[in-house]
Amino acid sequence: MGAEQLAENYWMFGVAALVIALVLLRLLFRERITLQGSMSFLAFLTLLGLMAIFSGVTQRIAVALGFTLMSNFFFSTAIAALAILHLRALVTLSKVHLRSIALTQELALLQEKLDRLSAEKR
Amino acid sequence: MRVLIVIPAFNEEQALSGLLAEIRALTPAEVGAEIDTVVVDDGSADRTADVARAGGARVLRLCRNLGIGGAVQSGLRLAHREGYDFAIQCDGDGQHPPSELKALVASGLAEPAPDLVIGTRYVDKHNFRSTLLRRLGSWWLRTILRIVTRLKLSDPTSGFRLYGRRALQLFDSVYPYDFPEPEALAIAKASGLSIKEVRVTMRPRQGGTSSIAGFSTIYYMLKVTIAVVLTYVRALGRGPTSGEDENGS
Repeated sequence: MGAEQLAENYWMFGVAALVIALVLLRLLFRERITLQGSMSFLAFLTLLGLMAIFSGVTQRIAVALGFTLMSNFFFSTAIAALAILHLRALVTLSKVHLRSIALTQELALLQEKLDRLSAEKR
Repeated sequence: MRVLIVIPAFNEEQALSGLLAEIRALTPAEVGAEIDTVVVDDGSADRTADVARAGGARVLRLCRNLGIGGAVQSGLRLAHREGYDFAIQCDGDGQHPPSELKALVASGLAEPAPDLVIGTRYVDKHNFRSTLLRRLGSWWLRTILRIVTRLKLSDPTSGFRLYGRRALQLFDSVYPYDFPEPEALAIAKASGLSIKEVRVTMRPRQGGTSSIAGFSTIYYMLKVTIAVVLTYVRALGRGPTSGEDENGS
């Protein structure tokens, strides 16, 4: 099987990336997720889509990197990208968690102060 | 000399009224300082906050459950911002008898003044004994703390503690959230605080249930072991805490 023939079989990856991108865009339009938080995910999907569309170039890169099957290259790229995206999400989540704790504490401290001032006024 | 007693409480309506009555019964002469009490209601579903107010305590009501670390830090922040000389952490389940507050305050006033005083239950063999699993866990944490921080303590999980001004300043800005006691010791040690132990009597909890039981004990041990190493190295990187108060209070 020639390299071009082999590459033609990978348009499905492009379709999968497009479907996920459409779902992501729908979530963005419905304001369920923020554009700032989704940019890296969109970039990853674009990369995967381009890899599928320009499969000839992808094939050459895969061979140069030592992959014998192009599907393995697709999966490896996807797994690496998802791991990076997950780490990024973990960092964001941890920041939000710490801020949420600090805000909860500040709210309680302010509420106590307010209660005390109200009681003194009475 | 002003001391703020910080009582973290999560669904502790049963034990709290008795504990607050015992604290109210103490005179400043008995404790060696003027005492105020704040109950940090950690998102309780019962009447903990009402019971605390009825018992004459100030109440910090957290709108969601933060866990013991978040609750304790709220109280320490209050003590630091209002310029208290000491804060004493005392469990809301009644395990820490208010009659022992005097011992902690006396240790805090001793020369050279320590920044952190830990009330230990293990020095006295006739004292209240916790379960075998907990004692094993305590042994493991003692060992870890000794290896990592070179800190020799008999009861690193004790939550009966006195915090001096430098400790209040430090823990206002950084305090661990899950199972915080051993981690807080690692932070204190790495930040150059002086730590001292004092023998106290403890008693069985007067109500409520422990959050650490069964399999969560194993998770607790694993998590704290990793956390002690990480927090110590991280705190070493931050360097020692200065005696200067950033808030100017």
